Amino acid sequence: MSAHKIWLILSSEFWRRVRSKAFILATLLVPVGFVILAAAPALFGYLAEQTDERVVALVDETDQLADSLAAAGGDRITFESTDAPIDSVRAAVRGGVYDGYLLLPASLLDGEGEATYYSMEGGGLTLRTQIDGMVNRVIQERRLTSAGADASVLSIVRSDVGLSTRKLAEDEGTTADSSLALTAIGYAMAFIIYFAVFIYGQYVMQGVIEEKSNRVVEIVVSSVRPFELLMGKVLGIGAMGLVQMVTWAVLVGGGFAVAGPVLALVMSPEDLGVAPDASQQAMAEAAGASLPTLPLDLMVWFVLFFLGGFLLYASLFAAVGSAVEQQQDAQNLLLPVMTPLIVPILFLFFIIESPNATVSVVMSIIPFFSPILMVLRAAIANVPLWEIGLAFGLLLATFVGMIWVAGRIYRVGILSYGKTPGFREIAKWVTYD
Amino acid sequence: MAYLDVSNVTKRYGDTVAVDDVSFSAEPGRILGLLGPNGAGKTSTIRMITYITVPDAGGIRYDGETVGPWSQQRMGYLPEERGLYKRLRVKEQLVYLGTLKGLSKAEAADRADHWLGRFDATGWADMKTEELSKGMQQKIQFIATLLHDPSLLIFDEPFSGLDPINADLLRDIILELRREDRTILFASHRMEQVEQLCDDICLMARGDVVLRGPLRDIKEQFGKNTLVLEFDGDDHFVDQLEAEGLVRVNTRSAHRAELTLADGTAARTVLDRALDATDELYRYERTAPPLNEIFVEVVGEDEARRMQEEAATAPAG
Repeated sequence: MSAHKIWLILSSEFWRRVRSKAFILATLLVPVGFVILAAAPALFGYLAEQTDERVVALVDETDQLADSLAAAGGDRITFESTDAPIDSVRAAVRGGVYDGYLLLPASLLDGEGEATYYSMEGGGLTLRTQIDGMVNRVIQERRLTSAGADASVLSIVRSDVGLSTRKLAEDEGTTADSSLALTAIGYAMAFIIYFAVFIYGQYVMQGVIEEKSNRVVEIVVSSVRPFELLMGKVLGIGAMGLVQMVTWAVLVGGGFAVAGPVLALVMSPEDLGVAPDASQQAMAEAAGASLPTLPLDLMVWFVLFFLGGFLLYASLFAAVGSAVEQQQDAQNLLLPVMTPLIVPILFLFFIIESPNATVSVVMSIIPFFSPILMVLRAAIANVPLWEIGLAFGLLLATFVGMIWVAGRIYRVGILSYGKTPGFREIAKWVTYD
Repeated sequence: MAYLDVSNVTKRYGDTVAVDDVSFSAEPGRILGLLGPNGAGKTSTIRMITYITVPDAGGIRYDGETVGPWSQQRMGYLPEERGLYKRLRVKEQLVYLGTLKGLSKAEAADRADHWLGRFDATGWADMKTEELSKGMQQKIQFIATLLHDPSLLIFDEPFSGLDPINADLLRDIILELRREDRTILFASHRMEQVEQLCDDICLMARGDVVLRGPLRDIKEQFGKNTLVLEFDGDDHFVDQLEAEGLVRVNTRSAHRAELTLADGTAARTVLDRALDATDELYRYERTAPPLNEIFVEVVGEDEARRMQEEAATAPAG
């Protein structure tokens, strides 16, 4: 086997794809789309809130809550007390003078009955939650005061405690637990690997089919060994995939780095619920327009498992491609390749719920599943190094075995024209000398 | 220059024996025609010579050594089914294929320029291959075969699908290569084409070599049992001769007939009948049989017909 020949094929396969318009467009546009999709809701949501300063008429039958409620409303909701009869308040709402009116029955002070918000448009979830919170807090305070609670009790009740969770590390100490974020990341990584392996694997298959149906393959294998061609092609497309994903990561990261300050220009810290002197990073995070920082080892495993998974599946895609003359004929033959790729997707939720259950551990070590499942586990739980190492070692060993089998199928397949072979015949090819 | 030696080569695909104990050799400065109907094992043999596949038994030596990656770099191969990378630019394509044959990039680029110039194709260098006409692509394909200055050239059905201009061009190239003392192997089922170019032939049928040697010797060996007649007028006499079992008809048209004499038929008999029947007889020639007929004679008439029928339905190989 000539490493030089493999390198020649690898670089030709790589460059001819990387400089194509389709590749350049996809590589540039996908991250732009991603940043826009991620940042836009944050921005629009914020802007919507800003323009949504509501004026609410307050029909306060308790006669005690209006002031404190007006204070609680802040910038977002202006409560205007009115003594006008309900009919005229309703007319005013219908006439657009108010966005709605809030009716507070006298019984509220005794903890009975309920406040009612009337509006033309229903109000939306955010508004409902806001008003509900405000009314409850105001009534709670009023009732505590009237029950004789002193200032210290009130301040206890007012205190707003956040919940922070921390993760126990294998060794001493704790690490900041962003388990929700990490679950999302693990989930995203699992899907990225699934799609990447699937799509780049299809590229490999297409490349093989094209070369075969073009008939150029016979000239190439009169110059290099079929196995060298197979390896060069798989590695070249793998390199292309890696470059594309790294570019995406850099562009998305860069996009958020730009999006943060941009958001900061139009938003004020108080509105986001962070300290007035909060950093841009904190603001962007609060606005949902940032990426959580990834642990380095997770990124390394992600790349390694992506490459391992790609190589394993790409060799199989190549074998299937070599057996057919056009894409449509590949459907049947793809079944045994696609099945092990899809199975791990069915286990994603199970593993997120119980990442260290025996089933999860075993599934994530099986070579055909590990590129997706082990990365997910590594993201959401503390997986012992030996488990990851074992999974990766098995993955590599399986790749070596599979590329050998694939190479034997490939070398016969690329020169066989005519009827699409069945599994039986392909199995026979492996035994040919 | 070196010569190619194929000895006792056998190749099986599953239960099918594609090539069965085949031996022949090809010498520099001569053209060896590898002949036989489709399915005779020509392409399977060529694939072993080009080290695309390896024989199950027997050996193939070039220049005294078993073929392998080293010999691939000294061979130029024009396969029967030809193709190029559609989306690569012409020069890039040639340079890529050249580097796979062991040339450095710079060397490959120089030679690509040289050959594009020789074929009046310099202007195509930066065009995408798919933008070229079929005839232009054929020229690029020739260049790809010759770029690395191979000493052994293998052409599989080289004239099939070529337009007449490129067919002439290729014929000139092949003859030039022969003058340069290269070893040339030329496989075809179109025997009349091969006859004009080959020095030696190797006739294959069903994976076997049925006849081989210098073309001239073979022709002599089969004697002058063939008659060519050209005439005007009634050609009914041909039917009669055939009905009486005196001759076999090889080819026939309104004014021309090519006949093989049956054993014991005097050539004169045919001449007498022709003179009686026709208005005018322009040509009466007694000659060696064409390769087609030699082939039929060697494998037998029934077998030959069966092979032709099979070849019409079976995929090439």
